[in-house]
Amino acid sequence: MATGKNNRIGIAILGGTLLIFLLFLGNISIGSVAIPLGETLSGLTGGGVSKKSWEIILLDYRIPKAITAILAGIALSLSGLQMQTFFRNPLAGPYVLGISSGAGLGVAILLLGGSAFGWNLLGDGGFMGIWGTIIAASTGAILVLVLMSLTAWRVKDSMTLLIIGLMFGSATGAMISVLSYFGGAEELKLFTIWSMGSFGGTSKDQVMVFFVACLLGIIPVLLFVKSFNAMLLGERYAESMGVNLYQLRWAMILSTGVLAGSATAICGPVAFIGIAVPHLARMVFKTGDHRILFPASSLIGAGFLLVCDSVSQMPGTAETLPINAVTSLFGAPLVIWLILKRNFSREF
Amino acid sequence: MKENTIILRGEEVAIGYQKGKTIHWVAEDLSFSLKRGQLTCLLGPNGVGKSTLIKAILGQNLPIKGKILFQGEPIKTLDANALAKKVSVVLTDRISPGNLTVRQLVGLGRIPFTNWLGTIGKEDRRIIESAIEDTKVGYLTDKKVAEISDGQLQKVMIARALAQDGELMILDEPTAHLDLVNRMEIMQLLRDIAHARRKAILVVTHDLDIAVETADEFWLMPCSGPLVTDTPEDLILSGRINQLLPSDLFRFNPLTGKIQSSTPVAYPQIQGAKEVFPWLQSALRKNNIQLDTEVSIFVQKEPVLFIVERLGIRKQFASIREVMDELTGDR
Repeated sequence: MATGKNNRIGIAILGGTLLIFLLFLGNISIGSVAIPLGETLSGLTGGGVSKKSWEIILLDYRIPKAITAILAGIALSLSGLQMQTFFRNPLAGPYVLGISSGAGLGVAILLLGGSAFGWNLLGDGGFMGIWGTIIAASTGAILVLVLMSLTAWRVKDSMTLLIIGLMFGSATGAMISVLSYFGGAEELKLFTIWSMGSFGGTSKDQVMVFFVACLLGIIPVLLFVKSFNAMLLGERYAESMGVNLYQLRWAMILSTGVLAGSATAICGPVAFIGIAVPHLARMVFKTGDHRILFPASSLIGAGFLLVCDSVSQMPGTAETLPINAVTSLFGAPLVIWLILKRNFSREF
Repeated sequence: MKENTIILRGEEVAIGYQKGKTIHWVAEDLSFSLKRGQLTCLLGPNGVGKSTLIKAILGQNLPIKGKILFQGEPIKTLDANALAKKVSVVLTDRISPGNLTVRQLVGLGRIPFTNWLGTIGKEDRRIIESAIEDTKVGYLTDKKVAEISDGQLQKVMIARALAQDGELMILDEPTAHLDLVNRMEIMQLLRDIAHARRKAILVVTHDLDIAVETADEFWLMPCSGPLVTDTPEDLILSGRINQLLPSDLFRFNPLTGKIQSSTPVAYPQIQGAKEVFPWLQSALRKNNIQLDTEVSIFVQKEPVLFIVERLGIRKQFASIREVMDELTGDR
């Protein structure tokens, strides 16, 4: 009986992985230049592509972009799930500890600070520009994370930590507003575009860095799966089952910091995924067990962002929609529909 | 009592909180022991420090003074996981793991014993099933936690604590918010488990009458003074049970097993069937109705009948309400 259920979940996860691969293939085949699936496959397996321009598009642009989408989906969903369970709050997500806002502030200082303070950090744009944005976002995220950690040291209650995180978010948001107010029109547009999120424009190097960051961020998740299950009953029960809350909190802060921080640095603040995907995973897999929820959220997050990215390409046209608009426009109705249809358990 | 049956021993324990540099004392002079195979009830007024004492036993809030020994070892030398293997709890915290099934929830009790992934092995499964059987929740195992009632949930939480399989189980007001039948059932269940599984079970409760019927041992925590421990019956007979009651307005009545007003108004005018007249007395007392000396009431049962005689006039009534209407209407 129990093993039958495990098998079903195993098959679901295997099927999900296969689906991700198909979505990945589809994603890199479409865009302003359509590439036949057969050519894409042969390009992937090293068989060569018949047109040189297709090869460049695939290897230098679309594959890094699709991998970025997958990594961002995994990173943001895992952060969201950890936070929702740790804080026992269904509304928690990567924004909650102010990490995304911190990254935003870093980028705002870089892009808008020029006109506000009279400096020019952007240089000549291009390659340096993108790395500059990533470095600024990471620095901002890490700074907020360090501040949060210093506070977390003093605060015992996780609800208080949640409120402090929201306050950090508000404060950094306000600083961004001030910078925007004094920023020049051109820089403001650059910043607005960054804040809409994008998977494009990442080089292979950056994808490698993102990949390593994700691996690092996933380690604490693996080590503490059992503790997250214990947290389903709340802090005091978890403590009575031998969970070290202090360790768990640090694992959660570091893991979400690295995952959400790097995702925001590379793709900009991608909304919605962190909060919604864990709920989708609970609804689809009908479980609260984190041994299933962590892989399930990763799969759904990756698949969801691949689809959203494909949609944002608007196949057949040369235009691209901002990814943030697509995730929320498609995601919000989907989640509402699922909640209405599936008799969503409010006690998550 | 042999030493090896004592699971937990407290010696001159004082508990409290440290806030900054000032120590806030909650209670002191607490000496106690918990024995294997016994159900112990901890009773005391709200705010007297019962929860703090439990936190001290769980090693979450170390005592300011004195020692708490678990099987001879000081609690503070045991790390969280070692303690989790020995002590399990049922708390008052509301839980909301709506997506777990009952069996999964009970299985969480195995967390201190399983590997880093929390894989449930053969032995774990056997202990889980036996916990489910002991608490008689077998018919619920595949339901979602969100679908079961409060009384059922409380039994499932007891099953979870039982699956943690320590020597000691502590329950903080497990019967609060439950209906009367569920309260009786749960306390009886705990008694059965303590005796059959040779566990020491400590229950914080305010249900004095149910506790009297089920507990092997009472710990009374009065507002001031040391912890009083003895069998419930000895505490009642010696009158020490009254230390639970901070004011002199109420007293424990050893005849009825209830807490009653300490200055009962006696009604010598009432006579007759002893199954009936206490309830008439109770109704009159509650409504503050005095009886004049010239009134006499004779009650009989089967059928219940009240014969009120005043100045030679006899009237018969079939219900207490009618009697009261007669007595008050005259005034």
